[in-house]
Amino acid sequence: MEQEIKKPYKIQSAKIMKEIMGNYFLGMKDTTKKMAWCTSVGPAELLRSFGFEVHFPENHGALLGATRTATDLIPEATKLGYSSEICSYLTADVGSYLKKQTPLTEHYGLEGPPKPDLIVYNTNQCREVQDWFEYFAKEKNCPVFGIEPPRYVDEVSNEAIENVAAQFKALIPICEKASGQKFDIDKFRETLRLSKEATDLWKKVLWTARVSPSPISFFDATIHMGPIVVLRGTQMAKDYYTTLLKELEDNVTKGIGFLEVEKCRIYWDGMPIWGKLRPMSELFAANNAAVVASTYCNSWVFDAFDPKDPFESSALAYTEIFINRSERAKEKILKGLIKDFNIGGMIFHEAKTCFSNSNSRFGMPLRLKNELGIETLVIEGDLCDLRFYSEGQTTTKIETFIEQLS
Amino acid sequence: MNNYYQGVDIGSSYTKLTVIDEDDRICYQNIVKTLNRDKQELANILTKIKSQFNIVSVCATGYGREHFKDSHINKTEIYCASVGVSALYPEVKTIIDIGGEDIKVIKSDADSKVDDFYMNTKCAAGTGTFIIEIAERAELPLSRLSELAAKSDFDKELNSFCTVFAKTEIMKWIFDEVPEHDLARGIYISIVNRIAKIRMDKTLPIFLIGGVIQYHPFLKTIVEEKFKQRVVVPENPQMINSFGAALLAKKHAESEMKVKTI
Repeated sequence: MEQEIKKPYKIQSAKIMKEIMGNYFLGMKDTTKKMAWCTSVGPAELLRSFGFEVHFPENHGALLGATRTATDLIPEATKLGYSSEICSYLTADVGSYLKKQTPLTEHYGLEGPPKPDLIVYNTNQCREVQDWFEYFAKEKNCPVFGIEPPRYVDEVSNEAIENVAAQFKALIPICEKASGQKFDIDKFRETLRLSKEATDLWKKVLWTARVSPSPISFFDATIHMGPIVVLRGTQMAKDYYTTLLKELEDNVTKGIGFLEVEKCRIYWDGMPIWGKLRPMSELFAANNAAVVASTYCNSWVFDAFDPKDPFESSALAYTEIFINRSERAKEKILKGLIKDFNIGGMIFHEAKTCFSNSNSRFGMPLRLKNELGIETLVIEGDLCDLRFYSEGQTTTKIETFIEQLS
Repeated sequence: MNNYYQGVDIGSSYTKLTVIDEDDRICYQNIVKTLNRDKQELANILTKIKSQFNIVSVCATGYGREHFKDSHINKTEIYCASVGVSALYPEVKTIIDIGGEDIKVIKSDADSKVDDFYMNTKCAAGTGTFIIEIAERAELPLSRLSELAAKSDFDKELNSFCTVFAKTEIMKWIFDEVPEHDLARGIYISIVNRIAKIRMDKTLPIFLIGGVIQYHPFLKTIVEEKFKQRVVVPENPQMINSFGAALLAKKHAESEMKVKTI
């Protein structure tokens, strides 16, 4: 057999990350602290400035996907009238709540996600979060606040920034009431500064993959992104990415990559298939194909954060995210990344239950193929619901794609 | 002693084996059910091949390729199809491979490079399994389906994307007393219309391969009617992928030899 899995090194910082993430979840046992639930690209910095601990239901959804428990839980939400074709983070999370089953119990001794004092969402990513968070607000008898920015923007206008900044400000009295703390702009500036420093480091981490051989794969990045999602605005996140970046930069200097030889370099668009992360990673590695960049992991790069101008810069950063952009703006961003990362082929994961994160549905793969001369492939699957994923067919598609690129 | 090369195509329904010589001539071919409970049959065939030929390289392909222990290389059936058909017809073309559980549409260069490919989505509508299921519901003998369809000028299709629902749909035709030969043609039209929904360069000649065209030759007529292109069915269309695999086994052996020589 010519194919064998070669992984010359493991990212050593992973041990530290596991510890940090473990502490984050174990910290949820402390019920003396005020708890806010927030969407993954929601106003976490503002919430932290009020002293809230922050739980991210999407993170729990990803955990349900990665532990392959989601597929059993989703039907519970379906019985309640939630279609199995809407966001499987939502249906898995609601199913987990209804069935009182969560991997948090086995891993961290938690009965479930922590009880919220405030629930906040931002529809910059999709409309589903509104229904999802409103459901829990009702169930938990908890105040809920939604930021609703203009959607699918080409470029973010000043009016849009003013609009969203005003919504951030409207959240202040609700946070004050729920936290029992007065708003302190200096604290907000400080959490935003920490968040900015962490996100800058995270970007540098991802950008180490521009060299060949790359020291980090897309699949590694989906694991190492944990702290930038759940701990941004804290010193811990900043410290972690300082450590991780150093390790990866050292590996770049030594010429060590996650593959010894990169037969081709691939960009992954769309969500990870959480329940198949390892076999996917191994499939590409066995074929010496380096998946080095992704839309998904880049979603937590917030260039615009500026502590000097915390409301407006947060409004811009959270409104200009890729998922909230027009098709034209997305295409422009992707073209830049394809060039920056020296990409030969692009895989679009069309997630059955995630319309917003599936960019193959309006002809983009073919347009990029024709304009840039790269190969593109659409695979069907889902972030959590493995009923929408066919392993045999997907493997054949991916291996043929790699044969095309090689 | 002469050298020989073996291709093994482990499909969802059948396992196909081809042995070629140094001049790419087919010396041996055989076919056996993939999920035959009697594993001995395949073992006997492999033993026979080993005893008759000095096999120096083996390439496995098809959905079961990873499970074939004795291969030197594994390649996808899409690439093997392109290599196999291109060896016989070196021209730019569309290959349509209709197998037991999927349809593959491949744009293939004259020199066998896969330019583009598309597969049906997860459901089995329009595949070999679809024909078996629908024909069974309609109580039509599979072996006579082509012969029956040839007598019809029926022009309707089953609309459902789901094989199970399509079975319900054909019941309506049966209740309406649609004759057998029209049912048969309707099933074939449904398959070809399913293929037509997959992206394809309509200017290219079409090569039909796979198990379905082997046993349902009338499909070629429907494809010609639908796409209005030259349609070619290579000899033994079910065996083409294993032939392509054998050619790749040979190429692999030659490149290994080169490395050794260097």
